[in-house]
Amino acid sequence: MERRYSISVSSSGRKLVSVSQYPVYQNEITFLFGESGIGKSVLSKALYGLLDPDGLDIIINNKTYGHHCNDEWTKSIRANSFFVFQEPSSHLNPLLTIREQLNEGSLEGADDSEILRYLWQTSGDESVRKLIDLYPKPYRPSGGEKQRILLAMAFKRINALINNAPVNEPSYFVFDEPTGSLDNRYRNLFLSLLFAKFAARPFTIQIITHDYSIISEIYRSHQRLVNRVHFKELTRVKGGTVAVNDFTPEDYLKWLETPYNQNKGMFKKNVVLSLDPHFSIFGKKHTVYDDKQHTQVAPLVIKRGDIAYVKAPSGVGKTTLAKIIMGIYKADSFSMNLSGIKLNEKSSQNIWARKIWGTRAGMVFQHADESLNLQATVKETFDGLPGKKLNNVLLKNKLSELFDGTVTDDFLRKKVAYLSGGQKQRLNILRTLVPAPHLIILDEPLNGLDFKSVRKVLDLLEEKCATGSALLMISHNEEIFEHFVTEECIYYLS
Amino acid sequence: MKTDTNFFSRLYNSKDQLWTLIWITGILSLGIWDMVFLNKPAFNKVITGFFNTFTIAFIVAVFTLFLGWMITIALNFTERMKNRVPFLMLMFFLNIIRSVPQIVGVLIAYVIIAQAATRGTFKSGFTIFPAMGIAMSLFIVIELVDLMRERIDHFKKLDFYNAMRVCGISESRIINFHILWKNSRLHIFNKLISIFGSAVFLQCSVDFIISVGLSSDVNSVMLPSTLGSLLAKIDSKQDILAIGSIFTNPSYITNLFTLHLQGITVAFLIVFSLYCVYAISNGFAERHRL
Repeated sequence: MERRYSISVSSSGRKLVSVSQYPVYQNEITFLFGESGIGKSVLSKALYGLLDPDGLDIIINNKTYGHHCNDEWTKSIRANSFFVFQEPSSHLNPLLTIREQLNEGSLEGADDSEILRYLWQTSGDESVRKLIDLYPKPYRPSGGEKQRILLAMAFKRINALINNAPVNEPSYFVFDEPTGSLDNRYRNLFLSLLFAKFAARPFTIQIITHDYSIISEIYRSHQRLVNRVHFKELTRVKGGTVAVNDFTPEDYLKWLETPYNQNKGMFKKNVVLSLDPHFSIFGKKHTVYDDKQHTQVAPLVIKRGDIAYVKAPSGVGKTTLAKIIMGIYKADSFSMNLSGIKLNEKSSQNIWARKIWGTRAGMVFQHADESLNLQATVKETFDGLPGKKLNNVLLKNKLSELFDGTVTDDFLRKKVAYLSGGQKQRLNILRTLVPAPHLIILDEPLNGLDFKSVRKVLDLLEEKCATGSALLMISHNEEIFEHFVTEECIYYLS
Repeated sequence: MKTDTNFFSRLYNSKDQLWTLIWITGILSLGIWDMVFLNKPAFNKVITGFFNTFTIAFIVAVFTLFLGWMITIALNFTERMKNRVPFLMLMFFLNIIRSVPQIVGVLIAYVIIAQAATRGTFKSGFTIFPAMGIAMSLFIVIELVDLMRERIDHFKKLDFYNAMRVCGISESRIINFHILWKNSRLHIFNKLISIFGSAVFLQCSVDFIISVGLSSDVNSVMLPSTLGSLLAKIDSKQDILAIGSIFTNPSYITNLFTLHLQGITVAFLIVFSLYCVYAISNGFAERHRL
């Protein structure tokens, strides 16, 4: 059974997001993709009755928000379902221990030991108990731990639904980026448990994600449930109006099988970056290896036209390494040769400012929202970059490499704050690529992008390599980058 | 009809615009009343005092902006230099200024200006205005420098700053354009509104002190007439004292608005303007969520 909703959310007469035919497949699984900022979370929250209506004009199926929140379906799903928020930190109350929060309200009483043991992959309770008796602040469990705590809460509600609710009881479990802070191992464990529960008693699941590699995992490990899974994608029609389209998982799987063109341009393959394998910062020693087992210590060497990929679990120091190379962090010890300039821990930051930034090396930061000036216009974002000043025509040509359709003057005058998350990320990438530095470091460059943009960005990066740029990639998205980068250019950091 | 409702509702929600309108309306209404009931020489004095006070306050705001921006940039660039002497020297002078109470600093500066005026240093009456504005700015500018440095420090902690630097955008452009102009101009403008209010207050206080006779060496006649100096005149003082008489003789209240207008007008202009500037500044901060 399928429910369809027409949802419109506006503020001061400005349409924030509007969609017709937003589907909720009862007792089935829906994966919702789409670039960040397009409205996936807002629409789900509106449907769940979680949006704060203050200052918003919310209409759902031509009825007021108050009417929607009080209808039987909404009341029912709020009583027996769960909404896992995107940012685990904002979900947890810093003034209650995690144990108290795991047993708060309707979660009270239900046994959670089995779920916790599974999500922490431990046979005893001790290590988990140590964690749940903490306050989320100031002890700060890691992002992955907080994420698993939220998932444990959701699973408690799922257990309650399976054990107590009638089969036809409406449900709506929303998981908003539930695997954003998990590595692949824990992500797959979460999916396995969720699908096992679903197989025991179907209920409505909606998973909002940017992680396209989930598709491969489903086709690899949960083939029997594929016919119960819907893949949908939210795409922008115009302004705040969006449409829900089918996403064809086969497109992604086929794309993964298509080899990337490794045939680089005709130029001398000089070494652009050569970093000694041992470096230390903040009192910690790090080593670079060129094999997964961490047996072969190797310098990080990137030549013109190469794409190198640095892999390491969360928190090991991939971004820190990038910031050392870029001279933003001062390492306790390191040594490198960057495009002919020898640098070490004693080098002054002025060298980077005078000789490296924007010309020999550039870096795309992880979060576009934080690394762009949201108050500037699109055009102003590119003003002041090294090299030839871009006039409107040249800039429009550059932008059209990653933006659909004709880039207009209005777009150039648009404030960055008003762009969607995906548009900001593309702008973030282009700002670094435009001056064409010898080495381009990209920290999670595919953050917040839809599949179409992912392909466009990777194609553009490939073109950059063909013209002699060297790329250093840092990303959790192993599946895509292992596909994009040759094995000999993958490095492991510990 | 709908447009009218929208206009008033918008005005009600934009408290800064509402208070600007209230201020202008109040001043104009008072002006019309004074035209009718105040004698012409006194009316001219009030107009001159009002014009001088607010002109100097405006000059203070403009010059503070200019000086504050320069000092902030100088601090930012000297702070990163290997040679710490220029930064420490600059901080030393700023801390000396910070240690002097504003009113004392402005008073001393005005005494010096008045003495210079007595000696004929200022060729025309108008050259004394910038001198007074600049003197006052020196003791107010620290407030603006602190705000601008806070804004720069805040943005330097964000990825925003480093992300731009590694793209090759110059530090000067990031600080001046991206941080101060694009992300802080509303904060700076709001601070300038309060600096304008402070300048009016300081101007009136210092002129009042000088006019009632700070020193026999200083002749306040050489300084432009302001609301503060008008308030110190014997006529105005008598008008203010008349307010007290209404407690013993309530029927006298009507005379306040016809017979004692000079003092009452000057006092009202100062208090009403300061309150309006305060409300405008708060409303502006509220409207822009500063």
